[in-house]
Order: sequence, then structure tokens, then C-alpha cells
Amino acid sequence: MIMTKLNDLLKRHETWRPLIIALSIIVVIAISHKIYWETTAETNPGKIWDGKTFSIVDLGEDENQIWRIKFNQEVDDKIVFKGVLETSPRNEVYQNFTTGGFIESEGLVYTEDLYGKTMLNVGGMRILVNGNLSGEFFESEIITIRAHLVENTTTFQNGPNNVTLIREGWEAEPEDIQLASDTDYYFFGTEVLILLFGTYLYLKNMRHLRNQLNLIWHLAKFEFKSGMKSSRMVILGLFFSLFIIGIGWVLGDMQGANPETSFFVENGNHALLQFCFFTFFVVSLAAIAVSVDAFHKERQTNTLNMLLARPITRESIVIGKALGLTMVVGVPAFVAQLIGLYLMILEGDIPAISGILAFLLFGQVMIFTMVTFQLCFAVAARSGTDVVIYGLGAWLLFAIVWNLLVYAISFVIGIELTEGFETNPEYQALASHLGLFNPGYVYQFAVGLLTHRTIAIDMGGIPGWLVLLALVLWPLTCLRASTWLFKREMKG
Amino acid sequence: MSGSLLKLKDVQKDYRTYRFGRETGRINALNKLSFSVDRGQVFGFLGPNGAGKTTTIKCIVGILTCDKGNILIEGDDIEENRLHSKNKIGFLPEQVGLYGGLTPTETLKYYGGFYKLENEILKERGKDLLQKLGLDKDSERQVRGFSLGMRKRLALAVALLHEPEILILDEPTSGLDPRGVKALRAVLQELNEKGLTIILSSHVLSEIQEICTHIGIIDKGKLIRQDTIAGIREEVRKTAIKLSLRVKGFNDSNAKQLNKKRGVSIIEETDLGKHTRVLLKLKENLIPWVTDTLVSKGVKIFSIEPQTSSLEDVFLKETGDDND
Repeated sequence: MIMTKLNDLLKRHETWRPLIIALSIIVVIAISHKIYWETTAETNPGKIWDGKTFSIVDLGEDENQIWRIKFNQEVDDKIVFKGVLETSPRNEVYQNFTTGGFIESEGLVYTEDLYGKTMLNVGGMRILVNGNLSGEFFESEIITIRAHLVENTTTFQNGPNNVTLIREGWEAEPEDIQLASDTDYYFFGTEVLILLFGTYLYLKNMRHLRNQLNLIWHLAKFEFKSGMKSSRMVILGLFFSLFIIGIGWVLGDMQGANPETSFFVENGNHALLQFCFFTFFVVSLAAIAVSVDAFHKERQTNTLNMLLARPITRESIVIGKALGLTMVVGVPAFVAQLIGLYLMILEGDIPAISGILAFLLFGQVMIFTMVTFQLCFAVAARSGTDVVIYGLGAWLLFAIVWNLLVYAISFVIGIELTEGFETNPEYQALASHLGLFNPGYVYQFAVGLLTHRTIAIDMGGIPGWLVLLALVLWPLTCLRASTWLFKREMKG
Repeated sequence: MSGSLLKLKDVQKDYRTYRFGRETGRINALNKLSFSVDRGQVFGFLGPNGAGKTTTIKCIVGILTCDKGNILIEGDDIEENRLHSKNKIGFLPEQVGLYGGLTPTETLKYYGGFYKLENEILKERGKDLLQKLGLDKDSERQVRGFSLGMRKRLALAVALLHEPEILILDEPTSGLDPRGVKALRAVLQELNEKGLTIILSSHVLSEIQEICTHIGIIDKGKLIRQDTIAGIREEVRKTAIKLSLRVKGFNDSNAKQLNKKRGVSIIEETDLGKHTRVLLKLKENLIPWVTDTLVSKGVKIFSIEPQTSSLEDVFLKETGDDND
């Protein structure tokens, strides 16, 4: 029954068949990926840490005390943990401390032999690494670590009592730690290859592909030339270019500000993230403004019927227009971003090169997303006023009031919005997840991700690959929605 | 060359209404519409407002898809290869939409870019068309300063740029002054003489009569008549003609007697003072009976003037608006 239905579906969408098959295989690989980690590693280290028992064996007033920390596992057990580095290893290396004190959160007594070792916090689990990992691994990176359970005994003075601590703890060697992405890349690589192959076959199945690509380019060039000549774009372009350049310079300058003030920007990478937000702030408005006329005005001036009578598909018209309008905003934005970056670097640190490239490249993706998003309104709206109102509404939501929305949802689901709530992990997780529904945040996340050396990064509760997936899905979904709406018109 | 170039078979089309993306209703526009146009014809597509002319044209041109039925060009279903079909069609919409900021040369270059035409050919053809349509002197002026007639001519140049096999014009003369209409008619006739098949929709019946060789009458989304112009005229002539009589002494009893006769009816009776003008609709063979009857009743006939039946009569008759 299901197979028959599936066959019918594939027959109906024959052109899409390779892509559907490719996506199905990717889903299977993604599930296998998940199963692989679930079966080869402990993906919830915090659960094991929280499962330990702590007991005090009190032998009397004048006697010594015996404290015991015990895990459910057997001593000498080896487990591969997979989790996020909750704190920076740089701050977790034992140095300059007073010996003899018992630290409950780490489950050990500070002794001299800890010097130079690192106490990692992997997803809430404390693992003692026999080496200095400062600069080797960084906060938020997702790692795998092969640790074994050891037992040792330490005595220390706890007030009037002599305490003997019999502790079990997890220890590892520096060579037992790896970035999770070392394995993830095999899965992701295979998935990307399958997707590319499926896309290639899909495109090969499409009739008149080369011809349609030429027409898309023809239309895009026309849109670009018309857009660049429009007075609206001249004014907007000038405004947003100056804004971007100015912000670049200011963000560079703010890196040298007093750390106590709110005008302080930590480093180049941090400045780059701020730069993303401000770029989105103005560029998305420009993208919406230039896309307003795309279909509605053409319909009013009857140029659309002239265009529809040409041998170009409706999909190609939408893609051509989207590409052209993206260039109208994207070209001046790219130039402004370059100048802004130059000024930022001149005044401050150099951000990661991958971050800079992502800032420029993903910026164009973000503009394309906003253009296609607005094209949905431009196609579907009944009047010009509707297009403008919907577009401005979307911009206000994404660029201005998004945080208010996050606050409101946090409040509704019971996250306390008291002082310092922004560092509350629950709030951060909610904000990150909701951020995936905002192209501006996706842009910021994606650039932030690429300022790291790996995509195995936890970004406030969401993995790096999900950010990249969102970055790809946003423009594709908007493009598909606008072409679907435009094609629906053919039905009358 | 002969053969059916364009064929519509049982074409059905509904317009849909949506609310929040959901279909909430349908309005029928075309109802099992079928007709064919042979190569070399000038086919007039006639119908009252809202009959479905523009919808039919939009379906043929590829702006809309039909819900059911087939549209065939040279035997190939356009749904099978819409892009290929579009290459064979030149289209002039009723409301001509051109980019005001472009010159005619730029306009032709832009629209020509959608066809696989080499630049040189495109340039040469564009120049020829502009010259033929009297726009060569304005070829470097921005379109925004053009009159409606000039815009229509430019849009016609756009439609002809890729040398289509069928030229489809939706209400081509609407908004044009008499001089513009005459010029357009001349161009269309010249194109047809060179072998171009032309389909034009209009509700200006005289236009159809002047230009077309064949005619299709559509009403409520259905074709109710397809014939040659000559065939329709002949049929009208056979079935009923109009006769205008200027008479003296015509009274009610004469009128009753005429109306009683099968095949004769009085359309209009006008008092001209001394005389009366009587407009009759009758079969041609009954003219002697009418004159004999009136003369025998003492009515003096000063003039008899047969009025040629026009396409309008057929149109009104076929679309059910003939109230005579």
C-alpha cells in the first residue's frame, strides 16, 4: 500500500525523483549518524555525573571521617563521552591554587599533583585530563573524550575533622580527546556528495535547463540594471552603504574602549558578529524595498503579461528576478562590507578569515533570502499597499522586535526574566532555537559558527550543522514558496 | 500551406478564489471550448464582454493553464512543451505594458533576449520592424513619452520579433484613433499576405468584418459559431434581410397584416411627417408579396432600400441579444 503510494508519488514528480531519492538517503544517513553516536558514545555525560553518590561515613566525634564519591560504573570502566565543552579549558587548568581544599563541584581535593592538569566540563560531566589543554580546545566545541573511571584516596582537613576522601573520578589523557567533527565530517561529506549528485541528476532531468539558465541571467541583468537606475535604490544604497561603512569603523574603534562600558567589543570575532546584525538591519530593509515592485507593479503596468508570453518558465522568472534584485542590493552591500571590514580591522583585531568570508558570502545569501521572502508577498498581495505593509511588518519583526518576541515567549513558558536572565541556559536555548526562524539571526549564527575552527559547535543549545542547514533552507523555502504562489496564478 | 495550425479541444477553465491560501470558490470562464484555426487565416474571435475571449487567448499564449481539454499547435499539445509553443506565438495584449525607461531599441533587445536569436539578427530585425511600423525616427526616445498608438505598434514589433507562426492580438484596436486603426489594419493585412496566421479578438464588429477571413463567436465560455465571413454573410442573406420602406398612408391595419405573415416582421416604424419609414425584417423571397400587399391597400411606396445584414446581426442573433 505504502509502496504503491510512493511509486505513484515518484511517477507524478518524475523530474524530482533523483532529488527525492537523494534526500531520502540523506535522511537515512542522518538517522544512522545519530544512531552511531548513541551506540558508540555516551551523549549525555551530565546524567552520569549527576548519578554519582556522595556519602559521609561518620566514625564518631573523635574519629576521622570517611567521605565517599561513587559512580554507578565499575572502577576501570572506559566510556567515550560526547558533549559540549561548557567552559573554556583555558580557565580550567590547575594553577595558582591553594592545596588542601575540597571542591564539591569538581569532586576532588586540591593537591599539588593537579598542577598543570585540566578539569574539563563536558556537558556537565567533570573529567580530569592529565595535561594542559589551554589553547587546544575551546568553549562550546563538541568533543569526544575516552575517559576511564579511577579511584583514589586523599586526606584533608575539614575544620576539626580529618577527612579521608575515597573518590571515584573520570580521567583521560590529552590524546583521548577529539573534536566530534572529525567523525561528523565523514557523515556530512557523504550527505553533501549525495545531495550534489541528486541535484545534478535532477537538473539533468530538467528540460531546456541551459536555455532557462540563460534566460534567468538575461532577466537578472535587466532587473539589476533597472534597479540600479531607480531613484529609490540610489537613495537607499547610499544610506545603507554609509551606515555599513560607519558601523565597521565604529566596531573597530570599540575594541579599544573601556571594558567596563557597554561600548566595549571584546575582539575581532565579536565585532564581526555585531557587524552582521547591523548589516542585516539595513540591508534587509533595502532588500524588501527593492522587491516591493517586483510583481505587483509589473502586473499594474501590464508588463508581466508581456513577459509571461515569452518562452521562459514561471520558476525562471521568479529566480531571475530574485537574482537580479539580490544583485541590486548585494553589489553595493558587498562593497560597503569590504570597506567597513577594512576600517574595522584598521582600528581593531583581525577576525577569523573563515568568519570574514562567511560574513561576505552569507551576507549575499541573507539578501537573497530577504528578497525571496518579500517576493512571496509581492506575488500574493492584492495591492501595492499590502506588499509594503507586509514587507515592513516582516522587517520590523526580524530586525527590531524579535527580542521582545523572545522575551514574551520566555515569560509565557515560565523562564524568569530577572537580572542576568540572558545568561540563563534555558533562555539561551530558547533564543537560539527561535533564532533559526529569523534570517538575520541565522546569518549571525552562521558567521559566528565559521569564526570557529569546526562546525561541531554548540550554539546555545543548537548544533552548528543545524545553523548551516537553516542558512540553506531559508532561501530555498522562500524561493519555493514564491515560485509556488506565482505558478498557482496560472490556474487562474 | 494548409492544415490546422491551432486547435482547441474541449477546453475548460475556471477562475478560483482563495482565502488564506485555500480555494474558496470557482467561476467558470471556458466551457468545453473547441475551435480550430488553419494556417494563413485571419481568425476573428468575437464575443460580448466576459464571454471568455481574453481567457482563451491567455490559455493559448501560456499565461494561464486550462483545467481540462487540449490546446494543440501543429498537432502538439502545448502542455507537453509550453516553451516550444511560446516560440511559435507572437502576442499583443489588450493593455500594452512596456517599460517607460527603455527606448524602442532597448525594448526589442530586452524581449528579443528571450529567444535564441543572434545579436546581429536581432538588431537587423528590430530595425526593420521599427521602420515598417513607423517608429524608426523614435527608436532612441524613451517609451514613456509615446502615445498609445505608438506603444501598440512597438508591442506589435515585440510580438513579431521572433517571426512567430501565429500572431495573437487581444482587442488590438482598443484605444486607437481611426488613423491608428487603419494603419494597424494595413500592417495586419500585409503580414497575412506574407503567410502569417492571425487571431484577433474584438468586440468592434466592423473591425472583424474588415480584416478577418474567418470568425468564431464565443459566449459564456462556449463557441457558438465558427465560419468564414463570406459564409456567415450568405447565410444571413438567405435567412433574413432588412428592408427600409418610405411610404405614405401606412396605418395600423397594414402593420397587423404584415406582421401576420410568416417570415415578415416590423422592426421599427418612424413617423417622418408626410411619410412613414418602416423597417422590416423578412426573407428575401417575400419582398414582392410585401410591396404587392401594401400597394393593393392603397399605400404609396416612395422608396425601397434593402439594408445589408452586418456581422452585428449575426453576433446579436448568436449571442441571444437579438431583440428584434
